[in-house]
Amino acid sequence: MAMDLDEPLDAAAVAEMGEAALQRLCDADPALFLSPSADLAAAARAASRHIYSSLAPLSPAQPPPFPSLLAGPAFDAEQIWSQIELLDRPLLPHLRRQLRRLEQQPPSQPQPPLEKPAVAEREQSEEEDGEGSESEELKEEEEEEELEETDDVEEMGDDYEEEEELDGRERKGVEDKFLKIDEMAEFLDRGDEEEYGGGAKRGEKKAKKNWMESDDEDEEDEDGDEDDEDEDQLDLEDFEDDDEEAEGAGEIMYKDFFEKGHKKEAKKKDGYTKKVQFKDEAHEIEVDGSEDDDDGNDEQVLSTHEKERLKMRAKIEQMEKANLDPSTWTMRGEVTSSNRPKNSALEVDLDFEHNVRPAPVITEEVTASLEEMIKKRIAEGQFDDVEKPSIVPSKAPKEHKELDESKSKKGLAELYEDDYAQKAGLAPAPLSISDELKKEGSALFKRICLKLDALSHFHFAPKPVIEDMSVQANVPALAMEEIAPVAVSDAAMLAPEEIFEGKGDIKEEGELTQAERKRRRANKKRKYAGSHKERPASLQKD
Amino acid sequence: MEVERTTATAATAGAGGSSGEMAVDHTAGPVSAEKPRFGALMPSEMSGGRPQFRKVPVPQHRFAPLKRCWMEIYAPVYEHMKIDIRMNLKARRVELKTRQDTPDVSNLQKCADFVHAFMLGFDIADAVALLRLDDLYVDSFEIKDVKTLRGEHLSRAIGRLSGKGGKTKYAIENSTRTRIAIADTKIHILGSFVNIKVARDSLCSLILGSPAGKVYSKLRAVSARLAE
Repeated sequence: MAMDLDEPLDAAAVAEMGEAALQRLCDADPALFLSPSADLAAAARAASRHIYSSLAPLSPAQPPPFPSLLAGPAFDAEQIWSQIELLDRPLLPHLRRQLRRLEQQPPSQPQPPLEKPAVAEREQSEEEDGEGSESEELKEEEEEEELEETDDVEEMGDDYEEEEELDGRERKGVEDKFLKIDEMAEFLDRGDEEEYGGGAKRGEKKAKKNWMESDDEDEEDEDGDEDDEDEDQLDLEDFEDDDEEAEGAGEIMYKDFFEKGHKKEAKKKDGYTKKVQFKDEAHEIEVDGSEDDDDGNDEQVLSTHEKERLKMRAKIEQMEKANLDPSTWTMRGEVTSSNRPKNSALEVDLDFEHNVRPAPVITEEVTASLEEMIKKRIAEGQFDDVEKPSIVPSKAPKEHKELDESKSKKGLAELYEDDYAQKAGLAPAPLSISDELKKEGSALFKRICLKLDALSHFHFAPKPVIEDMSVQANVPALAMEEIAPVAVSDAAMLAPEEIFEGKGDIKEEGELTQAERKRRRANKKRKYAGSHKERPASLQKD
Repeated sequence: MEVERTTATAATAGAGGSSGEMAVDHTAGPVSAEKPRFGALMPSEMSGGRPQFRKVPVPQHRFAPLKRCWMEIYAPVYEHMKIDIRMNLKARRVELKTRQDTPDVSNLQKCADFVHAFMLGFDIADAVALLRLDDLYVDSFEIKDVKTLRGEHLSRAIGRLSGKGGKTKYAIENSTRTRIAIADTKIHILGSFVNIKVARDSLCSLILGSPAGKVYSKLRAVSARLAE
């Protein structure tokens, strides 16, 4: 049915119509929202107008810019949404502040009844996937309620709210007038808090969150950090609060449930928001400024034992982490230059065995001692000269017989003759090569000695007599005997009889007798005749 | 009776010309006869008392040296060996004959060898050793027995054998106590058996082409061993 949006002026009637429109949206089949239908659109506009008017008086800026939502068919989603936003912008923080004030005050009424309209509205709002503006508005409304429930003060993204919507949808089927799943969850969470120290609920929520937020990358990091924090804190609180919680579980007192329990909740909230890190410097310590008061309360609550245990735990964590991490290169075993940072060996005092003796420091004393030693050695004459090792011949030097390449002077028979004579012992052994060499050597030496002696006239030594057949030249004796002639002598080397050629008694012409003279002439004639016999006949004189 | 028998048997043995064991006469008694002892035969008595001859032909190129050295040949043969020697000019050979007083059968042969050695080309002084010593021989072989060489290779081989101024040949001679006579392609070696062998090995290696230095080194090793 078509709704006439502009005409009815009656507030109650309008409210009724708005409610009816909301109800209709809730009842509609979700599949209808996928395709645009004018009917549903009109209903949605009516519903949003109704909600807007209900919120308008709460706005801090009175009067609000738009007293009523202009959501006629002429307005498109963008315009409607901007109007809603205009209202919400100042409204949300105001409401939050109000809520905080409410929290601090002990509640006069139990909370569950307040949640009902929120639950109902949440259920209604699930189905409005098609309409972006309305779902946003509803989400914002829910957020207020949820703040009470979940203790989450931070700004949540859209996905979180979607997740909440989806969760609500799942539980919807089991619920009836007696069992409200949310109430049950709330009760269970409280019980968990009492037992484990308040981190359980958060852990659950965080787990849900993680499961739902696989798509959203931005929030994963945040959530991951928050999860770690929560779990850490969970562990801490496990150790600390065990005793207290055990008592609490056995004997629940009013103060535990309503006063201390709330404080604990607040504490947990604060602890959760504190984000105190016991880990590395990667995470920052964020403390919510508005909750400084609560910090003091926290420390007062922790006993010294708990504090010690906290510290111990922190230390343990640190040490475990250090063990797991790869150690510095100095602690590792064999490290080559590629395994350690550049120039890192320079910064560390390396200790290794020096196999080289350190170079001696030359001082004046060292030099003086050296010089003293040198002087002493020179004075003694003890020089460490390298002495050539004298090779002791193991056996006598082998006599190598030279191959005689000249015709042998002795005949074969003579050779054998000599051989036999040697064997028989008749002839002396022939000179071996060494003997001949010795003879040659001694002869050479004598010749040199003669020359040296001749250089000094004082000590004249005659030429060594070598018994050898040699030709004597008829040279003045002086040349033979003295190199440097002191006096001139014309004595000849050879004796007259050696010069003389001839034989017998020499007689001169005057001494000859007749017979001798004749004899001489006859000899002469004979000789002449003999020598001239071969002359040609023509030349011969007859 | 026994004496008569022995003399009879001796006569038969003497007539036979060979002094062997005499046939035992079974008709003789159980007493065995003494072995007769015979002196060695004179060369003149051998071959029925006739003299023995040796004839050594003289090659053309040895004619003049023979004429020059005749007396050196003649003297030791005639006087020391007691062998008659003459030169048959017409037939161009040297003839040797045993005399009555030739002491030994082998003298004739020795003299023949001596003259033959001279004909081959050896010197008198070397050949005379044949007369003096028993165990010297002359060994001859040709180059073609070792390796077939023709033309220049043959000439080169001969040159290699002699060496420059004959020094290789003399080196072999001196180290092995032999005498070598190279006559164109024929090679004659005079010496004792072992020495001949060594000299022949050296000469063969030279013919086959090894350089003189290699032969020298081998000779040195061998001669050192021979001298010991």
